Amino acid sequence: MVQKDPEYLKKAISVDVHTGKATFTIFPGLCKGCGLCREKCPERALDWSHKLGVYGTPTVSPNPELCKACRICEQVCPDCAITIRRKDKEEE
Amino acid sequence: METKEILPKMPKSWNPASKPHKFCPGCGHGLVLKALGQVIDELNIQDRVVFGCDIGCSLLSWDFFNVDTVQTHHGRTTPVMVGIKRANPDLITIAYMGDGGGYAIGSQHLVNAANRNDIITAILVNNTVYAMTGGQMAPTTMPGQKTETTPYGRDIKEAGYPMLGPEMVAAIAHEGAYVARGSIAKFRQLKTFIKKAIENQMAGRGFSFIEALSTCPTNWRTNAEKTWDFVENIMPKYFPIGEYKVPGGKEE
Repeated sequence: MVQKDPEYLKKAISVDVHTGKATFTIFPGLCKGCGLCREKCPERALDWSHKLGVYGTPTVSPNPELCKACRICEQVCPDCAITIRRKDKEEE
Repeated sequence: METKEILPKMPKSWNPASKPHKFCPGCGHGLVLKALGQVIDELNIQDRVVFGCDIGCSLLSWDFFNVDTVQTHHGRTTPVMVGIKRANPDLITIAYMGDGGGYAIGSQHLVNAANRNDIITAILVNNTVYAMTGGQMAPTTMPGQKTETTPYGRDIKEAGYPMLGPEMVAAIAHEGAYVARGSIAKFRQLKTFIKKAIENQMAGRGFSFIEALSTCPTNWRTNAEKTWDFVENIMPKYFPIGEYKVPGGKEE
């Protein structure tokens, strides 16, 4: 099966957080704006963004000073729209 | 950014071409299927799994995984998966249904599969309403809960009590069965339960049944904060989370 790159891979937005030790990436093509991540964030670091998601609802963007890259948002996102990559640990 | 391209952290067994999936914003199905996908990846059984989905919101998972999938008649997921398992015992069959499919129209099959101790895994997602048809009262609607057809709250004198599935299955299941109730609010625990259920099937011990408490912000008419409150604090009062039957005893 030949697969083209899905549409949601384009326009990913990456933000350096946790004093540059990690990268927070949101895929607006996957985010439906449910807000579950925003409620679960222990640092209250996520806020609504002006960038709109796949259903035309606001996506989220992190406050780089508050975000500790704990990955709770990544875990609770039902759409896998958030990826957090820590730079200190070489990950796949 | 010049670094290596960052990709969404989807489980490898997910079908990336069908994403974003068709579930509503905030729907718990995505989390249950994420846990299931991670378990399939960890056990490395993608080429042996047959996934069956029911009618209802759960049918929207028909193209969710890159595994063989059957979409069955309403409530008949359990017997279809039992049939596939009996025809080819090497396969790992997972019946995926909602509370309407498992406890209303399909309860006879759930009861009989549990009684026969069929070696399949059934995952039932409980969100207390019939979500696809607009949020009517379901067998799992809690006493006093407002739905489309119970605008003053469910009256147990009129509508009876909600179904406690894992308790019922644990009461009739035989030795070797695995029965548990998880919640999407406790993602790691839910994943452990699903993993144990599939390992129980792979070991050929017996019927494995998981109920997952899930969310429906669309029909509950809740925002994110109240959605979490409902699934974390209100639902477990009526639907206690934990293991109900473990092969050899030692429930959590």
